[in-house]
Amino acid sequence: MTISKPDINLSLPTLEKFREINRIFPHTEHILAQKRDGKKVFGWLCTYVPEEILHAAGILPVRITGYSNEVELDDGNAYLYINNCSFSRSCLQMGLRKDYEFLDGVVGGSTCDGARRLFDLWRHYIGTPFYHVLTVPRKYTEKAHALYLNEVIQFKEHLEEYLGFKISDESLLPSIELYNESRDLLWQLYELRKSGSPPVSGTETMEISNASYRMPKEIFNQWLKSLLNEIKDSPRPHIGRARLMLVGSVLTNTEFIKAIEDQGGLVVTDELCTSTRYWGDRVKLEDNEPPVKALARRYLNNYPCARMFPSDERFNRIIDAALKFKVDGIISQTIRYCVPYAHDLPLLTRRLKEHDIPILSLDVEYSTPGSGQIQTRVQAFLEMLEAKKK
Amino acid sequence: MNAAGLDIGSLTTKLVILDGDSTTASVVIPSGEEAEATAREALAQAKGTEFKDSLYFVSTGIGGKTVSFAQQQKSITTCLARGISRLFPSARMLIDIGAESITIVKLNERGRVSDWLGHDKCAAGTGIFLQQMAKLMQMPLEEMAKISLNAKSSAEISSTCAVFAESEVISHVHRDPPTPREDIVAGIYSSLVSRVMALAKRVGIEKDVAVSGGVGLNIGLVAMLEKELGFKVLVPEQPQLVAALGAAVIAGENLGR
Amino acid sequence: MKATGKNNLESILRACRLILRMSQGTADMSPSRNLYYNMLIKYFSRLLHAKENEDFIAAHTVFFPAELIYAMGLVPMHTETTTWMTALFTGECSDILAAGASLGMASEICTPHRGLAGAFAIGALPRPNVMLWSNMVCDNTAKSGELVMELCDCPGFFIDRPFKDSNYEVNYLVSELQDLVRFLEDKSGKKMDWDKLSETVARMDRQIELVRQVNELRKNVPTPFRAQGFTELLTIDYLFPGQPEAIEYLETLLAELSETVKKGEGAVARERFRIMSLFIPPMYLMAFLEKMSQEYGAVSVIEPFFTFWGEGRLDPAHPLESVAKKSYMIPEMRMYRPLDQPALDAIVDCAKQYKIDGAIFYADVGCRHSCATIKLFKDALNRIDIPMLTLDCDVVDPTITSEEEFREKLERFFELLEDR
Repeated sequence: MTISKPDINLSLPTLEKFREINRIFPHTEHILAQKRDGKKVFGWLCTYVPEEILHAAGILPVRITGYSNEVELDDGNAYLYINNCSFSRSCLQMGLRKDYEFLDGVVGGSTCDGARRLFDLWRHYIGTPFYHVLTVPRKYTEKAHALYLNEVIQFKEHLEEYLGFKISDESLLPSIELYNESRDLLWQLYELRKSGSPPVSGTETMEISNASYRMPKEIFNQWLKSLLNEIKDSPRPHIGRARLMLVGSVLTNTEFIKAIEDQGGLVVTDELCTSTRYWGDRVKLEDNEPPVKALARRYLNNYPCARMFPSDERFNRIIDAALKFKVDGIISQTIRYCVPYAHDLPLLTRRLKEHDIPILSLDVEYSTPGSGQIQTRVQAFLEMLEAKKK
Repeated sequence: MNAAGLDIGSLTTKLVILDGDSTTASVVIPSGEEAEATAREALAQAKGTEFKDSLYFVSTGIGGKTVSFAQQQKSITTCLARGISRLFPSARMLIDIGAESITIVKLNERGRVSDWLGHDKCAAGTGIFLQQMAKLMQMPLEEMAKISLNAKSSAEISSTCAVFAESEVISHVHRDPPTPREDIVAGIYSSLVSRVMALAKRVGIEKDVAVSGGVGLNIGLVAMLEKELGFKVLVPEQPQLVAALGAAVIAGENLGR
Repeated sequence: MKATGKNNLESILRACRLILRMSQGTADMSPSRNLYYNMLIKYFSRLLHAKENEDFIAAHTVFFPAELIYAMGLVPMHTETTTWMTALFTGECSDILAAGASLGMASEICTPHRGLAGAFAIGALPRPNVMLWSNMVCDNTAKSGELVMELCDCPGFFIDRPFKDSNYEVNYLVSELQDLVRFLEDKSGKKMDWDKLSETVARMDRQIELVRQVNELRKNVPTPFRAQGFTELLTIDYLFPGQPEAIEYLETLLAELSETVKKGEGAVARERFRIMSLFIPPMYLMAFLEKMSQEYGAVSVIEPFFTFWGEGRLDPAHPLESVAKKSYMIPEMRMYRPLDQPALDAIVDCAKQYKIDGAIFYADVGCRHSCATIKLFKDALNRIDIPMLTLDCDVVDPTITSEEEFREKLERFFELLEDR
């Protein structure tokens, strides 16, 4: 079976710009400019932090992630211990080594044990000036929504108190619109991958997703619009041995996806904290409703994290995407000691079996480039998928 | 009566006899199957068994509990702390790389243990590990130590598992073109140093830092450790004797000195 | 021999009865311990015969408010305790852990939760009528219910306990409890007896007060409560919240301890080291730890996350609000909230109050949220010159660490304390 690789002459200039952002983060021009102008940069963790509020306050929100490759996590281990996920240890180590010293504030949610302990230790040992943790319910009931709305309002008030000015409803609306635009544009990109021979690979798409939470949305949207035009103008058909969906929690190292795609596994969609879980849903404003309410509703209902109950909400979204993108198989990358996602695997596997969708479950460390054993297992999985198609 | 310290380890048994503050005898012999027999052998080599009764023994190490003629047994960490404190009063942290384990001891100005951390669950980063690597590289340990200083770069070798590290070294040796030997050795040492640093950070690095255990004689390794730490470490002339010395010091204390 | 629902409960019962029989009249078997084993026998017998008695079994996870189950006349089954007691008394847990693995559960999932899923899968626990769980106190607990519902083909209810304790969040928890009651009434066909619940809450309030009094006595030098006795206090709270037996046990225990204090005696022959225990020691090493305590005169005088209850009283006139409030007072639940400076200060204060010589942190390999506090607590305790020993272990799985390893580390630690 032939594997069509993108013609390197048809490289996309804007894609290179996104790559560069990821490569030099956090020493990007946007962050440096923001600080130079005397404005603030806040770090956030987990997809349950309503970014638009930070944006409306004139803050540049950037997502806290760990090292982009697998490194020794001695400092992370000393504080978080070896049995917390390598993602949380990686983030903490960067914080301890002052790689996040430029942050004026950090905001997180009580999402999982790793995240909440990361935040506990961050408070004691790193001490960023502004610090806030939102309680995030685990249910989708009306009461849960009311609780989360209250939390979002508390967060907003805390921020207003700290900054010394109010964040009006009027100022929230353009931020929401801007973020919705990002989401729409990213979906436009993803729609292209539904094709039998998508014009962008999974590796390339991940670069764009990664950049989306590291730069001002204004500029991101501009760049993405340019990129979509560049793609339209250059045929770059990708064909693989099988169409794959990547699921799991955090993934930032594109080398991992490349390791899969180099073997002919074409990643056409995903469900990751750093991709669709982050930008998947729009904020829908209903008539006469305060924007904060719409924000809170969107963030709680968003593409589910494995921490949410019932788990079927997540499973259904995965199956829905798998069917829409005509996926042959799913690769789940679970970071070791990631408890919520590990617990989901037995039930997820059963649900997928009902739909006859095979799943390869990989135990990884955060930022693994996907070498050796992983490649072997992916290869075996692809062979199995090919045989199944015949 | 003189003070004597016996450290009965898995690979070697060490004996130190003190007369006041000075060491009158020190012996290092391979450990036999029976701690008692090895202890007597060490004594025979030092002064002769006829002196056994005029010595106050404190024993330590894996075989420490089974020496019938020891008046007291102390844990290895207590002895390491006392011993290094006697040699270097400014030492506040000791990295002991033994045959089968790495132990980090934090001590105060009186040579008392304030904290320690050990790793003894697997071979990665221990003396036995280095011996294995030397066999794979087909060179004596001393040569390995020297050539690592000439390495231009360090080969990537996993530090978390001795089994993986071994297969990585093999693949480096058989690579085409083969990775330069000094680079492989540098990589092996680097992986050991990583393991040490991981433990050290958990317990908190505090100067002055000293090194003990047979591996302390390995100049290449010590150089690499100093590079990681960012400062020089104190190495005794006979790093394998630190625990035995500490045991002897405790014996001396018990005798009222 | 394949494990079945009956076999495992029978093993626990056999073991408890044996302990009682063998210890009759010995100094070891005080009246309170006697009560304790009889209580266990009653609890597990009830479970064993539940099906034939057509009782409604409500399986629930740790810290779940079982007071509500009792008040409705249903039979509670504490999943984690029943799982680890099975391991403790049958001496082995490899079959249930293997079963957990074959379900596809990763080895990083802590053994009590991996074990309980495996136990249900192979019928080592009786099939419950409902599965009840909450997010108290960690992700493992929060995610354990749905798989059990599928394995046992039974309905379930999840309580979402919020992260902080603002009024809003406490009210949310109360509404969760209201929903739970409705759910249980619907599934069991029984109605909540609100008077009985009020009585249960009143007893729960007294129960907590009695534990506080026991803890006050433990401040005594020498401490009167035997070294590993805290596991009894823990089990009483897990299995008998607000039940008359719990009150009887605690009152008996209090009398015994008062007597010991009056006589100027202590739990061990010569108390040398007063230890603060952080988190759960391996269950299968209990007897060994007791022995070490006696040998070295090292006694655990307080356990901030098992036995040290937070401030507050429960009001029987407002039963559900009280049950909600209790969840913020439970010793270990004080860890499920932002760990701010006051939380650290409380540990330090506890260490001072109990005149601690050293602390031992049981670092369970499967417990993420507790291990992440090792450095935090060690630093806090070191600041007041109290050393802390970290012991890597697993609460249920004996293959993670051995008695020899524990002995060596404890010896070194006691030497360290001695030398100071």
